[in-house]
Amino acid sequence: MSASTFVRASLAVAAKDLAIEWKTKTAFVSSMVFAVLVLAVLYFARDPTSVATIDVAPGALWVTFTFAAMVGLNRAFLLERENRAMDGLLLTPAPPTAIFVGKVLGNLVFVGVVELASVPLFILFYDLPIGAQLPELLLVMVMATVAFVAVGTLLSAMVVRTRFSEMMLPVLLLPFLVPPVVGAVQLTARILLDRPLSELAGWLKLLAAFDLVFLTLSILLFEATLEE
Amino acid sequence: MPLSDVAVTLREVSRRYGHRPVLQDVSLDIGFGEVVLLMGKNGAGKTTLLRLIAGLARPNSGSIERFGSVGMVAHHSMLYDALTASQNLAFFARLHGLPSGRVVHAALERVGLAAVHDQAIATFSRGMLQRLAIARALLPEPEILLLDEPLSGLDDTGTTLVTDMLKALRDRGCAVVIASHQITELLPLGTRVGYLVRGRLETPEVLTNKTPAEVLDRYRAAVARER
Amino acid sequence: MIGRDAALRTARRGGVVTVLALLGLAAIYVRALVFTPVERFQGPAQKIFYIHAPAAWAALVAFAITGILSLLYLFLKDRKLDLVAASSAEVGVAFGMVMLTTGPIWGKPIWGTWWTWDARLTSTLFIFLLFVGYLALRNAVTDPGTRAAYSAVIGIMALVLVPFIHVTVYWFRTLHPQPVLVKPSSPSLPGVMLVTLLLSIVVFTVLYVGFTMQRYALAVLRELKAEEVARAVS
Repeated sequence: MSASTFVRASLAVAAKDLAIEWKTKTAFVSSMVFAVLVLAVLYFARDPTSVATIDVAPGALWVTFTFAAMVGLNRAFLLERENRAMDGLLLTPAPPTAIFVGKVLGNLVFVGVVELASVPLFILFYDLPIGAQLPELLLVMVMATVAFVAVGTLLSAMVVRTRFSEMMLPVLLLPFLVPPVVGAVQLTARILLDRPLSELAGWLKLLAAFDLVFLTLSILLFEATLEE
Repeated sequence: MPLSDVAVTLREVSRRYGHRPVLQDVSLDIGFGEVVLLMGKNGAGKTTLLRLIAGLARPNSGSIERFGSVGMVAHHSMLYDALTASQNLAFFARLHGLPSGRVVHAALERVGLAAVHDQAIATFSRGMLQRLAIARALLPEPEILLLDEPLSGLDDTGTTLVTDMLKALRDRGCAVVIASHQITELLPLGTRVGYLVRGRLETPEVLTNKTPAEVLDRYRAAVARER
Repeated sequence: MIGRDAALRTARRGGVVTVLALLGLAAIYVRALVFTPVERFQGPAQKIFYIHAPAAWAALVAFAITGILSLLYLFLKDRKLDLVAASSAEVGVAFGMVMLTTGPIWGKPIWGTWWTWDARLTSTLFIFLLFVGYLALRNAVTDPGTRAAYSAVIGIMALVLVPFIHVTVYWFRTLHPQPVLVKPSSPSLPGVMLVTLLLSIVVFTVLYVGFTMQRYALAVLRELKAEEVARAVS
C-alpha cells in the first residue's frame, strides 16, 4: 500500500460523497434552512434595548454552524449503511483509514460550503461591518470546523449502527464540541471587536492542539468501530 | 487435494451474535475451481458464514485463512441509490485501483445493463440491482467469490446469464461459494454441497450425478440428525 | 469471562467492602458534625463539604478508570475490562449526581446562588454529561462485542477530552475581560478539617470500589443469564 493509493482511495470516497450530495442536495438544503432559522431565531431571542448585536453575534454564529454541521454529519455514514455499502468498501483493497479520511474530507467540504454560505447571511442579519476581519474569521472557521468534523465523523460511524441513532449523535458529540466551539466563539468575539492578534494567540493554540490531537485520535480509533 | 489448490480454510470456527450462537465449530476447505453450495434455512448461519469467509466479521473462536482476493454478492446490493449504474461501478473500480472507463463499460455489458448505465439505481428493479451487484463483485476479477442467494429477483434470462457467468468463473479456477435454497438451478454448477443446520456444517459431499430430489433428501436427513 | 461462582464471590466481597465503607461513612458523619469545628465564615452549611468534595473525587476517579480500562480493552479485547469500565462509569455517574446535588445545596447559603459558571463546576458538569452519553451509547448497542468496542472508543476520547475541557472553561473564566475570578483552588483548611476531609476521601474511594465490584458482578451475571436464554431459544 503506497501513499498515493491511500490518497487516491480517500479522494475517491470524498468525491463519491460529494457527488451524491450534489445530486440529492437534501443535506445541504436542510442544513441551510436550519442555519437561516437559527440565525434568525437567535437574533430575536435577545432584548434589543439592552443587548447589542455584537454581543450575541459570535455565539449565534457558532451555534448555527454547530447545528447545521450536525445535520450533515448525521448523514455521512447513513449513506454507507443504506444497502450496506460499507461492506463493499471494506471488500476493496482500500485501507479503512483511507476510507475514514475520505469521509472526513467529504464532510469538511460539505460543512465548509454550508458555513461559507451562511457567513454573508450572518453579516447581513447582524449588520456587521467586518470586511477587513474576514481572513481572520475564515482561519478560525477552518480550525474549529476541522475539530468538529473529525470527531463528528468518527462518532457518526458508530452512531448509525445504534438504536435511536438520530438522538445519539448530539448527545455524544456536544461535550466534544465544548473546547472548539467555546474557543471559536471567544476568537470570533475578539475578531469582531478588532482586538490585537496577541489576544487571539492562546485560543488559536488551543484550537490547533485540539485539531491535531483529535484528528490523529479519530483516525487511529476508526478501525475499532468496524469491529464485527 | 494439493495444498496449493486451497482457496479458503476454516478451522473450528464459531461465532455468536449478541448472545446467540450462530455458527458452531465449522471446519471447511474450499479449493480453487470448486463451487460449493451451502444449503440451509434462513437463520441457519449462511450469511454469517459468508461474512466470516469474506473477512467482514471475525470469528469468536477458530481460524480462517484466505489464499486469494475476495468478491462478494450479498443480500444487500452494497451500492449507492443516488448514483447511476456506471458511477457506482466507477467508484468501486477506483478503490480497486482499476482504470474506470473501459472496465466499467465491459462489466455493464457483461450483465446486460449497458443500456441503462446512466440511470440512477434507485429506479432499478430487484433483478437489475442483483445484476449490478454481481458486476460490482466481479470488477477486480476475484479469486474467491461468495454469493448469498445470487438468483434472487432474477428472471429466467437473468438466471441463465448468471449461471453461465459462474460456470465460466469456475472453469477459470475461481473458488465459488453459494448460499442458496434455489438448488435446482444451481445444482449443475456445483462440485460439492454442504448442509448448514442450526449453525453446524457437515463436511460437504461431492455432487456427481445427484438429482435435486436426492440432494433435498440428504438435506432433510441432515436436519433430522441435528434435532 | 468469569463464571457464575466467581461473579457471586465478587458480589459478596464487594458487599463486604461496601458495608465497611458505609460504617466508615457513619464515622465520618460523626467526626464531621461533632468533632470538627464549625467553619468561621460559612457556619454549619460547610459540613456538606465533607460529602461534596469526596463525591466529586470518587466520580472523577471512576471516570479516569473507565478511560484507562477503555484503552486497555482495545489492546487486550478482554470482555472483563469492558464490563469493569462500564460498571465504573455507572458508579461514577451516581457519585456525580451526589456531587451535583450537594454542590448547589452548599452554594446557595455560601455564594447566595444555586449555580455559578465557575471553572471547576462547569468542567465537572461537562465531564459528567460525557459519561452519561457513554452509558446512553452502551444502552443503544445490542451486540456485546460492538458495544464494547464503541464504548472503548468513547472512553478513550473522553479521557483525552477532559484536559481540553478543563483548559477551556478555566480560560473562559480567567481570560474574561471582567475582574479575574480567583481560581477555586482547595481552600487551605485548618488541620482538623483537613484530616476529616482526607478521611472522607478515603471512605468514598473504598465505597467506590465496593459499588463497582458489586456492579461488575451484576453485569457478569446478566451476561451469563442472557447467554443462557439465547442458548435455550436457539
